[in-house]
Amino acid sequence: MSTPMLKVAVLVAPAIHPVSGRPCTHPADSAALALGLKLAGSSERLTVLYAGAAADEALAGYLAQGASCVTVLPTAEDADIAPLLAAQIADAELVLCGTRAGGGQGSALLPYQLAEELEAPLLPDALSVAIKGGSVEIEQFLPKGQRRSLAAALPVVVTVHERATPALPYSHARKEAGKVRRLMPVAAKAAEWRYEPGGRRARPLVAASRASGHERMLGAIAADDGKTTGLVVKQGDPVEKAQVLLDYLRDHQLVDF
Amino acid sequence: MTFTLAYALTGLFWLGAALLSLGLVRRAALWRQGRAAPVALGRLITIPKRYFVDLHHVVARDPFIAKAHVAVAGGAVAVLALAALNYGLMLYLPALDALMLLAALLMLAGAMLVRARRKAPPARLSKGAWNRLPKSLLLFSIGGALAALLALSGDAFGTAAQGLALLALAGLALGGAELALGIGLGGPMKHAVAGLLHLAFHPRQDRFSGDKRSTDLKPLDLAAKDYGVEKPSDFAWNRLLSFDACVQCGKCEAACPAYAAGQPLNPKKLIQDMVTGMAAGSGPAYAGNPHPGQAGKVRQGDPHQPIVGGLLDPETLWSCTTCRACVEECPMLIEHVDTVVSLRRHVTLTRGEVPGKGREALANLRDTDTVGGYPLAARYHWAIDLNVPVLLPGEHTDWLLMAGEGAFDMRYQRALRALVKVLKAAGLKVAVLGEVEPDCGDLARRLGDEATFQQLAGKMMDTLGRYRFNRIVTPDPHLFHCLKNEYPVLGGRYDVEHHSQVLADLLERGAVPLKADAAPLPATTYHDPCYLGRYNGETDAPRRVFKGIGIKVVEMERSGRKGRCCGWGGGASFTDIPGERRIPDMRMDDIRATGAEQVAVACPNCTAMLEGVVGPRPEVVELAELVAARLAV
Ligand code: SF4
Ligand code: SF4
Repeated sequence: MSTPMLKVAVLVAPAIHPVSGRPCTHPADSAALALGLKLAGSSERLTVLYAGAAADEALAGYLAQGASCVTVLPTAEDADIAPLLAAQIADAELVLCGTRAGGGQGSALLPYQLAEELEAPLLPDALSVAIKGGSVEIEQFLPKGQRRSLAAALPVVVTVHERATPALPYSHARKEAGKVRRLMPVAAKAAEWRYEPGGRRARPLVAASRASGHERMLGAIAADDGKTTGLVVKQGDPVEKAQVLLDYLRDHQLVDF
Repeated sequence: MTFTLAYALTGLFWLGAALLSLGLVRRAALWRQGRAAPVALGRLITIPKRYFVDLHHVVARDPFIAKAHVAVAGGAVAVLALAALNYGLMLYLPALDALMLLAALLMLAGAMLVRARRKAPPARLSKGAWNRLPKSLLLFSIGGALAALLALSGDAFGTAAQGLALLALAGLALGGAELALGIGLGGPMKHAVAGLLHLAFHPRQDRFSGDKRSTDLKPLDLAAKDYGVEKPSDFAWNRLLSFDACVQCGKCEAACPAYAAGQPLNPKKLIQDMVTGMAAGSGPAYAGNPHPGQAGKVRQGDPHQPIVGGLLDPETLWSCTTCRACVEECPMLIEHVDTVVSLRRHVTLTRGEVPGKGREALANLRDTDTVGGYPLAARYHWAIDLNVPVLLPGEHTDWLLMAGEGAFDMRYQRALRALVKVLKAAGLKVAVLGEVEPDCGDLARRLGDEATFQQLAGKMMDTLGRYRFNRIVTPDPHLFHCLKNEYPVLGGRYDVEHHSQVLADLLERGAVPLKADAAPLPATTYHDPCYLGRYNGETDAPRRVFKGIGIKVVEMERSGRKGRCCGWGGGASFTDIPGERRIPDMRMDDIRATGAEQVAVACPNCTAMLEGVVGPRPEVVELAELVAARLAV
């Protein structure tokens, strides 16, 4: 399936574990890595790149998940990394990264900046990626189970949804065999971020009905004693009974035919 | 005539000896495919003691077969020794012939017993070549007896002597072939030679040294990239030898909870799979029960090919609860759990392919130091109103209470609270570590993740090293086992007790203020945790606790060292390999069979597994809860 000699770059960054606060892998970056490994076919044609200030150990999880080498572009914490990354991966035909990283400078804006720098199209939120000749086709994640197909000619930047592909399982041996290669630190201008406190957005849930749980239960079930609103059908042949069921399901929009 | 027979016997003896030696050389070449092992040749002198004490100790649990084996093996060894002396060295002394006659008759009696057992064999026994064995034994003993008789009788048989001599020779040759060729061709009698050598070169030499049970897993040298066993040739040579000792008695199969639950693991077949791998081939001669659900599957083994995926399904590996019931029962002292864990280590460390929730649990352990991914600060939330001091560096306490992972389980928190109440009522000075207590690494280790285990163990030892305490008490047998038996080689030595031991002592010293007898107690049975009973030999302390609070325990058939696993051990509840039944359901049936209204447990994991059994069932209560219910305050 993978076109021979496709050059793939995967961007990763350590995330902060939500419980322990320790550096760990981010599921979207891990999914991008797994896709990259599959599409590149061999580790020589795969560049795994990180730009930022994290320590080598923080990247070990990606080695354990199959990256044979993670290249680190050491930068200051607040550096604007898009142009630096773009320069580093200018010859890659396919750039994969998580939709957003779990830490560092890999905000959800980064892929767009990167695509702009590379003058390449961006296909966001991919669940699967297929290479067809000179173009890339993705299945895009949309909320509520919806999906959409997108395609673009290579070279392309694709952001990967965390449910795209399960990461390769964590392997201690891979972690030990993998390497972190540090490039020369580069000076970069600081990113123009403005920090402001986020407002709390409370979204009160509105109950569909004010009746108590017990009342709603009685409304939903059926019994012979007539105390409940449900219906007990005893008359009629099986087809008629089935019709009652079907009507009920249609009424409640549980089937749409 | 007699002399011709004598010469023939001499010839036969040396022929047999030569064949046996050649066979041994041939088989040894298979063992030597394995890695080097640090055992000295001098261990050979330990064989008699280990045979008569350690091995016989296990065999004697089945008195019938013990008697039969003593008669057959004792008789055979005596016949062979006398034949070596009298015919091998060409002494031809009638006195030795008389002794040989007696020995042969003893062996004959034993062989009859063995044959009787084989008439209606229990399902766990292998058939095939093993069904031939009683006949070979009979032939050999009759041949031996006849030969000795002829040698003693002079010319008394007249013309019949020649025919009888031929018969004797034929019996000896046919029966003896079983022994002489067994080791070389991998027949049933290979167990005699391999079994004795296995006793000498056993991979766990500490099994034979005194009182301590040798149940700890040995650390891997990860820095040297030792990632466990992938191919048969990755086993140490004495492990390969140990597989050849198996007599296919199926004692392990009958004891295995995973097998009984219909999960695809039969420990006997597992050991035979290893033999197939070592000797290369497809193991067609195996005539015992298969791994459940895998009847008729033929698999190729090769000493230099990966075991998992070829010879073994990964599901077989992940079904094991590491309960050690098989090891406890094995008359040949074979170590199944070591085998399973060595194979798991390679899968986990190199490919990480742990099934079910195992992967998630390992990731949690790496990222949060807890199995369930909980914040460490929450470990002692249940104790917030109990006034248990959190130990600070520089302070000192008599007892350090370590709750383990059970502290995050709301059901088990009740037991922990009960324990604290009892310890306090008894006036013990107890403290906890609070949020600095990491996981001990038990689960990671049993799932084969030695790297995470060693990392957690290091963290735990660092932490404990910063605090001052006399002794550790824990209600978690897994934590107890790790601290007590598996940390010492890594450099951590602690005085650690299981809460049942502490409670038993307190009750016996009268240190716990108890109410006068209240209402009559419901009938109670006790479920032994594997990691307390079999791993640490502690079956007594919990029972002393029951005695101390006036509970008479109705014992289950499988209890004490023969207890049946609850199904949690070895991470089996995480890998969750499907079978026909669930192990905890079977255990609950054992409990129901006693008619007890409640079952006492002494482990957070047993508690969770048995509480998880649905439908009407006996109540599950923790040991500490039973004691707390009798407190006078
Ligand atoms: S491994 Fe041990 S218990 Fe199991 S069949 Fe072989 S000898 Fe018997
Ligand atoms: S340790 Fe327990 S589960 Fe594993 S093979 Fe032995 S008896 Fe079966």
